[in-house]
Amino acid sequence: MLHQHQPMPEGDHILKVEDVSKRYGPVIALRGVSIAVKRGSIHGLLGENGAGKSTLVGIISGQFPPSGGRIVLNGTPLAHADVRAMEEAGVFLVTQESMIIDHMSAAENLMLGIWPNRRGFVNWRRLTADAARMLEGSGIDPKARAGKLDAVARRKLNILRAMFSGGKVIILDEPTAALTVADRRVLFDFMRRLKADGVTFIFISHYNDEILDVCDAVSVLRDGLLAGGSDDIGAMTSEQLSELVLGRGLALFQRERQSHEGKAPLVSFRGVVAKHVDLAALDIAPGEIVGFTGLPGAGAKEFARTIFGLNVAEAGTIAIGGAEPVPLPRAPRDAFDTGIAYLSDDRRREGSVGQMSIGDNIAMSSLPARSRAGFIDKAAESQVVDRYFQAMGIKAPTPQAAVDTLSGGNQQKVCLGRVLATEPRLLIVDEPTRGIDIGVKQDVLRIIDRLSRTGVAVIMVSTDTDELVRATDRICIFEHGAIRETLTGADISTERLRRTAQA
Amino acid sequence: MNDGTLAAAKTVQPQPAAESRNVLGWVLHNVVWIWLIALVAIFGFFNEFFLTIFNMQNITVQATVLGMLGLAVALPLLVAEIDLSIPANAGFSAAIGALAYSDLGLPWLVAMLLGIAVATAIGFFNGLCITKLKMVSLIETLSMMIILQGALLALTQGKTLTNLSDGYIWIGQATFAGGWPVMPLVFVLALIAMSILLRFTTLGRSIYAVGGNAVASKSAGIRVDRIKVLTYTISGFLAGLAGFLLASWQMAITSNQGSSYLLYAIAAPIIGGVSVFGGRGNVLGVLGGVLLLTVIQVGLAIISVPSFYVGMIGGCMIFIAVAIDAIRVRYFG
Ligand SMILES: Nc1ncnc2c1ncn2[C@@H]1O[C@H](COP(=O)(O)OP(=O)(O)OP(=O)(O)O)[C@@H](O)[C@H]1O
Ligand SMILES: [Mg+2]
Repeated sequence: MLHQHQPMPEGDHILKVEDVSKRYGPVIALRGVSIAVKRGSIHGLLGENGAGKSTLVGIISGQFPPSGGRIVLNGTPLAHADVRAMEEAGVFLVTQESMIIDHMSAAENLMLGIWPNRRGFVNWRRLTADAARMLEGSGIDPKARAGKLDAVARRKLNILRAMFSGGKVIILDEPTAALTVADRRVLFDFMRRLKADGVTFIFISHYNDEILDVCDAVSVLRDGLLAGGSDDIGAMTSEQLSELVLGRGLALFQRERQSHEGKAPLVSFRGVVAKHVDLAALDIAPGEIVGFTGLPGAGAKEFARTIFGLNVAEAGTIAIGGAEPVPLPRAPRDAFDTGIAYLSDDRRREGSVGQMSIGDNIAMSSLPARSRAGFIDKAAESQVVDRYFQAMGIKAPTPQAAVDTLSGGNQQKVCLGRVLATEPRLLIVDEPTRGIDIGVKQDVLRIIDRLSRTGVAVIMVSTDTDELVRATDRICIFEHGAIRETLTGADISTERLRRTAQA
Repeated sequence: MNDGTLAAAKTVQPQPAAESRNVLGWVLHNVVWIWLIALVAIFGFFNEFFLTIFNMQNITVQATVLGMLGLAVALPLLVAEIDLSIPANAGFSAAIGALAYSDLGLPWLVAMLLGIAVATAIGFFNGLCITKLKMVSLIETLSMMIILQGALLALTQGKTLTNLSDGYIWIGQATFAGGWPVMPLVFVLALIAMSILLRFTTLGRSIYAVGGNAVASKSAGIRVDRIKVLTYTISGFLAGLAGFLLASWQMAITSNQGSSYLLYAIAAPIIGGVSVFGGRGNVLGVLGGVLLLTVIQVGLAIISVPSFYVGMIGGCMIFIAVAIDAIRVRYFG
């Protein structure tokens, strides 16, 4: 079964990718990939960061043409089909990074390009009514300005749009990356329901359990080649998937959990009040990794952003290293200067400057420390760039490559490198391994673990229970802006987290 | 932590087919300079006077004022904003400087510096309006342009100011070593200073970052508002300098001084590759755009194209440059 797709009669396959290749100048993203997708199935697509998954689905959905090979839909080869043509043929792509027009309302975004109209005039009444019906139960206000929505809502909006546009083949590129456990379940149920109606899905994810849970078949890409796959997901195990993805066995990371009780704290927060946050006190010991989790809006993320100066604090103090308590930083620059660094979960909007080079991005936050009288110390800069380019294992020919040309996971590594380069005393990472492949995920957790051993305090905001269990010493569960429950030592387990998440 | 073989495996030798594409890409990347050389050759062919030293000196002088204004316009563009008030600012601030000398009796140098200070302050004010009040830069600077043009008209009462001191007009007239004008040296200095600013300072790097992605820049610890205000302030300073040079060179300040430069001052950096969406562009490009526009203007005058056609032909030449550049971006990124 492994490493080969069974030959199938023509009618069974709605979509065939035949010997597709793609090159970007000297970079070869795909080198002759063939995949057949069965009608009415959910087909998983797996692979390391930069393996070529987004490139492949980009070609399938008409975003850009292949350098070689062809796409066959319903037995008809398609040549030079653009996005519009593919959407008319029923192929929709929901990309990794939300494509949302910030100044339009949620309803308008939802109906983008599929506006109900009468002789070219948009029928606003029907648009509003349709959108309201579609958004029912999603928790999104149809009138809300899209720019004000959080990452989860933006993701949902994109998925809903494809689902309601009458897609026959819907491609989801890492759709679960911003979703909570409960949201994921909702999404999977929705997919299964549409599947029963004959919709076919291509589903990209870095989580083996999701692939095993929801997919019928799977294909694995490695370095632009088809590394293998199976038409019968039941025959696969998580270990097998990992091995196909990485080309080697996977050593899962597990931190040696430490107790920090009774230690003098490195950072102390008192009376932090902000939107969605009302937290009386929190102490973090040097070398401690604290996990923050909770439902969206419960305050975990908001607290993290407030102490970094991205959200406005109404009240609250911070004391670092036994110093006198001072007001919370008012802007990210102040936070970096006091030794606090924050990695945003919204890589696209807040993470990096896409048109600048990897090196410029890595150096960006620590540049003031590596300059004299406003002049950049080029030697110090290239030293730090080289160091983090290597340490993060960023897959690019040189640090001079633009961040735009990197795969999603590699962009995330650039952001992490930039934040670590500031050599913080308190590191806040918000969904640090979102969009990162299983191999690199272990590396990132290892890096954070090693950093904590040098005395750095770490806050890890995450909805990924597995990562919280593996990498933290203490887990704070947020509710109504405050910490509802704290887990330490043996209390930390996946089951326990699941249970509290449902409570 | 990474086996590192992937990056190596993905980099392959460029093949012959790719090479001709590379050549074409190179040509399109340098289209401004190639077009510039071609036009010099064409104008020289039609009238050999075009290629004389004297005319080259003339071109450098002509390019100076446009160049200073072009640099001033480029800065706000780099942070993904725009400043339409720059040429008007140049005219207005020069009039302040001239009147401070002639009517208030200040020494010419002090009066001139006062003019430049006013220009700088106007830039600073524009920056504040755009960041703190969140005014849209296009409209804010458009209204500032109208205000300044009106203020200049009011100050001069519609007359031309010619009472300028000898010291004031020296730089616009002085020559050295066989008639080379001194004024373009200021432009050269400004070009050098600006490249240093953009390439070697944290401010320069921040300018590109803010223009590329302001939200990400903020969370990366860049004080976005401060960078924008600084950018507008420097740009105002350059406008003041340009205004002084223009007045010194023409030995007069008309009641609509500077206004005729508006479109060219905006076109020059854009032709030179400064993106209107921010974050892209460099000083060498601005220089190329400025020289190209100047050569077109001077060339059309020299080969004595009837004046009724100058505007149209010049416009077409600019159009071609911009169109080729757009094709480059479309196909070569
Ligand atoms: N516009 C581009 N220019 C140059 N190289 C590119 C470009 N787009 C993608 N690449 C390269 O193509 C390769 C495949 O990228 P792709 O985005 O398909 O990876 P992916 O499998 O989706 O990874 P991830 O899991 O990180 O999203 C990467 O090496 C990437 O750097
Ligand atoms: Mg991808």
